[in-house]
Amino acid sequence: MAESPAFESPVVRSYDTASDGALTLADASATVKWLVRASADGAVAGRLGAPFGSSRAAAGGALVLGSRPGEWIVLGEAGAVAEEVDGIDGLDPSDLVTALDWTHGRALFRVTGPEASAMLEKVCSLDWSDPMTPDGAVASASVAKVTCDLARNDLDGVPSYLIFCDRSFGQYLFDALIDAGNEFGLCVGPGGL
Amino acid sequence: MLLVPCPYCGPRNSVDLRYGGESQPRPDPATATPEQWRGYLYRRDNPADWLRENWYCRSGCRRWFTVERNTATNEFRHPPMPGDKRGGKA
Repeated sequence: MAESPAFESPVVRSYDTASDGALTLADASATVKWLVRASADGAVAGRLGAPFGSSRAAAGGALVLGSRPGEWIVLGEAGAVAEEVDGIDGLDPSDLVTALDWTHGRALFRVTGPEASAMLEKVCSLDWSDPMTPDGAVASASVAKVTCDLARNDLDGVPSYLIFCDRSFGQYLFDALIDAGNEFGLCVGPGGL
Repeated sequence: MLLVPCPYCGPRNSVDLRYGGESQPRPDPATATPEQWRGYLYRRDNPADWLRENWYCRSGCRRWFTVERNTATNEFRHPPMPGDKRGGKA
């Protein structure tokens, strides 16, 4: 896996940060992200082990998200992601496989807190109740009118959601999420996954 | 709000999808007459009844699918059950 050049976040404005808020929004765009596309039931799908709508925490620390039928997002530390994607395009010569470093092309935000689902319901039409989107669920939908990939990835039992969007919408979406979270006391947390 | 049953994503707000119009069989370009092409491109049945339609799940799974909608009541019906391809953490 080629080394990525220095990363510049799409969130360029500066914010006061706090890490002890009941609801926090963090910019995790610098996290290494890879996109993998292959047939939904082939050897690549078997190796990635996260069918559409679900996610898998790999032993090496990477998180594999089944974001669409035949499409996965692999994110985490560079080494952990490499463990998952290295050689994946040679698994099945009969399958058309794409593995692409998405780190610089996608913004990634994390919203964490007991009120995170209530906040998301203001800007996204999906059902964010626990039975419909339990920990590990993955979906794609419009968030504040931006097409996003979303994954629920709870931290120590506290609801937490990862939100991916195109880099060019990053600053707008970050501000839209702050607006949506104001009534829940949202604060901007330190960057990182 | 119109809830469209995507076979992959489950029921979705119609603003997350793109309406693809009536679903009609495409004529064979090698043998179709101009009249048949005109009918395929421009003529619509537009019934106040069940209608077979194409939809594109643009914000979700990015798949085209065909579903039947009653244009008078906005009820949907189609063979695959919505949500049957989703799950929690594997």
